[in-house]
Amino acid sequence: MAHGSHAVKRYTGIMDWLTTVDHKKIGILYLLAGGFFFLIGGLEAIMIRIQLWKPLNDFVSPDTFNELITMHGTTMIFLAVMPVIFGLMNAVVPLQIGARDVAFPFLNALGFWTFFFGGVLLNVSWFAGGAPDAGWTSYVPLASKTFNDGPGVDYYVLGLQISGIGSLLGGINFLATVINMRAPGMSFMRLPMFTWASFVTSMLILLAFPALTVGLVALMFDRIFEGNFFDPSAGGNIMLWEHIFWIFGHPEVYILILPAFGVISEVVTTFSRKRLFGYSSMVFATVLIGFLGFMVWAHHMFTSGLGPVANALFSIATMLIAVPTGIKVFNWLFTLWGGSIKFTAPLLFAIGFIPTFVMGGVTGVMLAAAPADYQYHDSYFVVAHFHYTIVGGLVSGLFAGVHYWWPKIFGRQLNETLGKTTFWFFIIGFHLTFLIQHFLGLLGMPRRIFTYLDGLGFNEMNLISTIGAMLMGVGVICFVINIIVTSAKPKHATNDPWEDGRTLEWAIASPAPEYNFAQLPLIRGYDAYWKEKREGNKEMQPAEPLGPIHMPSPSILPFIMSVGLFIAGLGFIFHQYVVSGIGLAITLICMFLRSVIEDHGYHIEPDEIHAKGV
Amino acid sequence: MSGHSHADGVLPHEPEKATLEGRNKVLGFWLFLGGETVLFGTLFSAFIALRDQVNGGPTAHELFSLTVVAIATLVLLTSSLTSVFAIQAMHRNKPKEMVNWLVVTILLGLVFLGLEIFEFVEYAHEGHTFAASAFSTSFYSLVGFHGGHVAFGVLWISLLIWQVLRRGLTVVTAPKIYIAGMYWHFIDVVWVFIFTVVYLMGKVG
Amino acid sequence: MTAEHAASVEQPKKRVKHEGPKKHIIAYVFSLILTILAFATVITGDVSVNFVYVMLVLMAGVQVFIQMAFWMHMKDRGHLFPIIGILSGVTVVFTMIIMAVYWAWW
Repeated sequence: MAHGSHAVKRYTGIMDWLTTVDHKKIGILYLLAGGFFFLIGGLEAIMIRIQLWKPLNDFVSPDTFNELITMHGTTMIFLAVMPVIFGLMNAVVPLQIGARDVAFPFLNALGFWTFFFGGVLLNVSWFAGGAPDAGWTSYVPLASKTFNDGPGVDYYVLGLQISGIGSLLGGINFLATVINMRAPGMSFMRLPMFTWASFVTSMLILLAFPALTVGLVALMFDRIFEGNFFDPSAGGNIMLWEHIFWIFGHPEVYILILPAFGVISEVVTTFSRKRLFGYSSMVFATVLIGFLGFMVWAHHMFTSGLGPVANALFSIATMLIAVPTGIKVFNWLFTLWGGSIKFTAPLLFAIGFIPTFVMGGVTGVMLAAAPADYQYHDSYFVVAHFHYTIVGGLVSGLFAGVHYWWPKIFGRQLNETLGKTTFWFFIIGFHLTFLIQHFLGLLGMPRRIFTYLDGLGFNEMNLISTIGAMLMGVGVICFVINIIVTSAKPKHATNDPWEDGRTLEWAIASPAPEYNFAQLPLIRGYDAYWKEKREGNKEMQPAEPLGPIHMPSPSILPFIMSVGLFIAGLGFIFHQYVVSGIGLAITLICMFLRSVIEDHGYHIEPDEIHAKGV
Repeated sequence: MSGHSHADGVLPHEPEKATLEGRNKVLGFWLFLGGETVLFGTLFSAFIALRDQVNGGPTAHELFSLTVVAIATLVLLTSSLTSVFAIQAMHRNKPKEMVNWLVVTILLGLVFLGLEIFEFVEYAHEGHTFAASAFSTSFYSLVGFHGGHVAFGVLWISLLIWQVLRRGLTVVTAPKIYIAGMYWHFIDVVWVFIFTVVYLMGKVG
Repeated sequence: MTAEHAASVEQPKKRVKHEGPKKHIIAYVFSLILTILAFATVITGDVSVNFVYVMLVLMAGVQVFIQMAFWMHMKDRGHLFPIIGILSGVTVVFTMIIMAVYWAWW
């Protein structure tokens, strides 16, 4: 398709996908892999709920139950929702800022493959030695060698470490992209809210993941190399793990929710046919939430003996976060108010998000009261809280985003009826599953228990919760059917299939062409495409003449580097250090090759660019 | 892409910033250093929490030899200066001078590593091994991680020297040299905190 | 990745004045002095522990500032985002260190 002065590597089929550095394809890879792991995590959840539907059930053994809850949490957070978030960021952010790709296409691919192989490594554990079983938070000393000498926790340590590299690279990539590659006229205060949210999220990733890296290294040193970070008998400290983990872990949950906030802003404005209310305050609130997210980690540790002064400070800081979050909720409501509302599937998910997330937020404020938390801690009340925010909140937001941007990514629109069916099964199933868990917690049911006795008053509520989970499963199956049914249809989506697109991505064809924009557009205001539509233009004004477009070359190195890390991880888990050495050598050799081989990409010539649609 | 830019033989002033790719690399690397700050900060926090837990072994006060540390500090500080001179030579489009300064930089880096290895071996003989106590594990993790960064830097700069010798100083190789220089300064900055918090404060008690 | 890369490469029409090594050598000398002072404070050992700690931290801070401003060009224009990046890292670390110190020593 392209020709230049040097031979151009172009792959087709599977090799195209293994070597791609195109953000649009990488976005699809993230969505597929994230979706796959979401199904696995969902299966783990169903198995948990089946075990708990009645007292003294023996559907799974206690050990297996511990593996299920650990893997469910770890998979859902790190391998399902984070990749879907990265998928949406990849698919949408460059288009929203008028760029042709992200700042580091090679690193983008590397980020995907390291995430993927980290996830594979983690799940290999089920078949080779046993899955990790110390909870997704992997507290010591339960996770230490003394009490847990199988390979399970080592899989956790190495799998997450490898996946974490991918996340960190992604964060740096999107920060540099938004800072350096905006189209002419796209100032920071004209960025769409999803891009702002992605930007702040990327900052959080950059600052939070290194703490996790250190924690995992410390745990690995303790478990594999006889280190003493967490071993009290040699002067180590158990609480150190909790601090390091939550210094990462709390910002992590804001990493999860901020992109969903961005999606809600986009979906609510588009389907109210109205400008976002209070844009500047939305930006300010997003940044404030990001900043405060680093100041509250010890609210996960109120009962660990930090003392009243620390508890009070963290308690207040935590409650403060409700303020900017509230600003955002009110702004969404004021956007909807007076708008010309179109009830599409994405908007239903967004409208479901708002009250559900608020419920999760207010139970969060309840938990933030340290004295009260002594009662709530480690009970189902906490489980209910975080599922309300992460599932009722984040996952609803992701469903909204995926439905909304599906035509831009795949060139086909998901079936509206199936989409709405997914929504109703999911939201009703969700509330049935988790609303009741607040009361289970208040009645005293602890979390992470594999069964419970009869006669405690837990029976009916657990049964209802399990039924709710089944309904959620039906909703997810509806979604999968929707995808299958839609892929059979031809690619007929127009550039602006929802007809009310306001942001730049709707100005170009669906799916976007390889080079995104034939000519970089000139941005004349916030809601750039809407502004042009208001002035009667069908397209964006170009900011540059038509010319050859430089594209980066595909490469197999990211894939191979990730395989190398996977091999190294297995080597460390099974104490076969020669294998680790080989794996690391593979990765280092690829890094060497990448540095030394100068590949300047290729050009797409103007005659190959479709003239219509900027 | 680089072919067009120096077809006329003139390397632009600040060649690392002359292309979008170069500017992206420099910005991306600053951001990466922000993340590395948190990484080392976490290691420092862990060290501070565990510095008194010697498990019956030698304490920092008994153990540390300030002479070796002082020499190592001098060596690393000087290497940071020579890396500045290398970048200045790059900006004046003097690749041979740049390479010379880079060679001095990595030689000093190797001296630093040699001193550190010598130091660690001494400590190990006195009972301060990785597995001895929480203090020792966190010491070797923090200081060892830094040393690992120095070693990686030495390898990286050597590779870049080879590339410049083969391909010359271009708008493609210049950003790589620039960010390697940033990296080298950063590990010197981290060392300032290590000698202060680990060695000097350890010696004081 | 656009045609604009050709235009973005500057063609200097006159000789650009390059900064000399003087500023950097001065920065080096300052760093050296601060380092020597820090070591001396510890070796003489006459003053109280808390005073020493404070002095050491201050000296380290000044030295780091000098190195980053001069050697890493942070004082030059066009470095807004690098400054934001490093400062946010420092803020997070500062919070962690306060917690670690509070935990270990109170």
